[in-house]
Amino acid sequence: MITQALPTPRISRALIDITPAILLGLVCLVLWEAAIWLFKVEPYVLPAPSAIALVMIEQFPVLAVAALVTAEEILIGFILSAVTGIAVAVIIARFETFGRALYPLIVLFQNVPKVALAPIFILWFGYDLAPKVLLIVVIAFFPVAIGMLSGLQSVDPSLVSLMRSVGAGPGTILKRVRLPHALPQLMAGLKVAVTLSVIGALVGEFAGASAGLGYLIQFASTQLETALVFAAILFVSVLGLVFYYVVEMAEQYLIPWAPKFADANNR
Amino acid sequence: MASARPVLRPAPAPAEQPAPVHLSAEGVAVDFDLGGRTQRVLTDIHLKIGKGQLVALVGPSGCGKSTLLRLFAGLMKPSAGKIEVAGMSPVEAARQKRIGVAFQDATLLPWKTALDNAAFLLETADPSLSRAEVRARAETNLHLVGLAGAEGKRPSQLSGGMRQRVAIARALTLDPEVLLLDEPFGALDAITREEMGTLLLDIWQRTQKTVLLVTHAFDEAVFLASDIHVMGTGPARIIETIASDLPYPRDAQTYRDPRFAALEARLRELLVKSHKGAT
Repeated sequence: MITQALPTPRISRALIDITPAILLGLVCLVLWEAAIWLFKVEPYVLPAPSAIALVMIEQFPVLAVAALVTAEEILIGFILSAVTGIAVAVIIARFETFGRALYPLIVLFQNVPKVALAPIFILWFGYDLAPKVLLIVVIAFFPVAIGMLSGLQSVDPSLVSLMRSVGAGPGTILKRVRLPHALPQLMAGLKVAVTLSVIGALVGEFAGASAGLGYLIQFASTQLETALVFAAILFVSVLGLVFYYVVEMAEQYLIPWAPKFADANNR
Repeated sequence: MASARPVLRPAPAPAEQPAPVHLSAEGVAVDFDLGGRTQRVLTDIHLKIGKGQLVALVGPSGCGKSTLLRLFAGLMKPSAGKIEVAGMSPVEAARQKRIGVAFQDATLLPWKTALDNAAFLLETADPSLSRAEVRARAETNLHLVGLAGAEGKRPSQLSGGMRQRVAIARALTLDPEVLLLDEPFGALDAITREEMGTLLLDIWQRTQKTVLLVTHAFDEAVFLASDIHVMGTGPARIIETIASDLPYPRDAQTYRDPRFAALEARLRELLVKSHKGAT
């Protein structure tokens, strides 16, 4: 009915909404280009947008290979962060006494600046995938655990009573009510975690690596190839955006019952 | 349910032939532990509710009437005294699916359809039943509460009254002997509340279940119940039991019956008195 008539106007409205942003972005790029030319800025200090675009085309194979390495780190690290965070939350929620012991330790650990652990992980695990994945997990599992935990614990007490009134134990209540109920907050935690995973991968590569976008950024900056640095940063950003949208798509697939923004507007 | 509506049977008149006791509380007291200090929230409760009766428990908010309902549902244990449902402990009765509960909030699962919500408690209570059978029973009860056609809707697409109907269908799907309803219409608007009251009477007369209704609305209690237990505060106890002289079946005419007004006035008087006594 209404929803079927909507798509076309919604898409065109989205285009109208985004047009000013695109225009402003273009104006900024033009001003940037003009300023470089006008003030004769050295390319190793700040390259012109055109120079960055050129490097992206010329060095595409290098950038692509580096992006694949980083993407692998992010993907594995993010998945392990999700698994760790969910497991921690379920354990805390399900085993109350153990949870009371574990929770303060996790909060304490969260206050350790995890970036500072990168050199130690390099020391322990070398220059390959493992230290980056580990760094991502220690950085990114926390928002997953917190989101999941608050989702598990915010179930309506009446619903728990109802389950208990037919003799359901804590395990059944966890499986049938708490876990599905926690999904929206889990997804919110995962969205934070995926962004942190990108940062974790970069920091891991800065600390010690022989491949990847982070490594490329560091290497290119020591060579004063600033245009390549910018190109790599752009690649990282796009990578982060792609991962974020994958998580958001998963959210829409997993929790279709969550009221959509458009539905709320049509009420 | 067959398409033809079953003929409404008049409810058994408790005064003429006393029904066997179905819910009983003997000398029940409940203490809450408030960080070292105990507070007595229920004291000296004696209550006998006959099989197939529709009984209301009225009292001011916080008087412990929900606590009493939770005792009968096996959700908590009394500090003293004895609670029995169908001659056994409430926990055992709950395990045998003899008890159906509904609260003020419909507490539906937002990720399930109306049909799956109605089915879900039975599914949990009895994993041995086939999915098809559970769904068939849930569907029957959704129709019974007047929700034919809404099976596939999610709670977010239902009105407050419809959600409460699903909650009642969910309790009925267990096919319990006892329905424990904790202010089930408390969050609904006046018109929907009356509709739901009529629906509850209809269901009760068709299924002959024992119903314990906790409410703070006098008119609701008078309209529905055959016996009204009035609770007072500080600490909560049953201050009076009123046997209603309003005949069943009841309908919109019942509201205009002079006996209705008299009962409502009597309730109000009792509660005002108990309220003054407490403060």
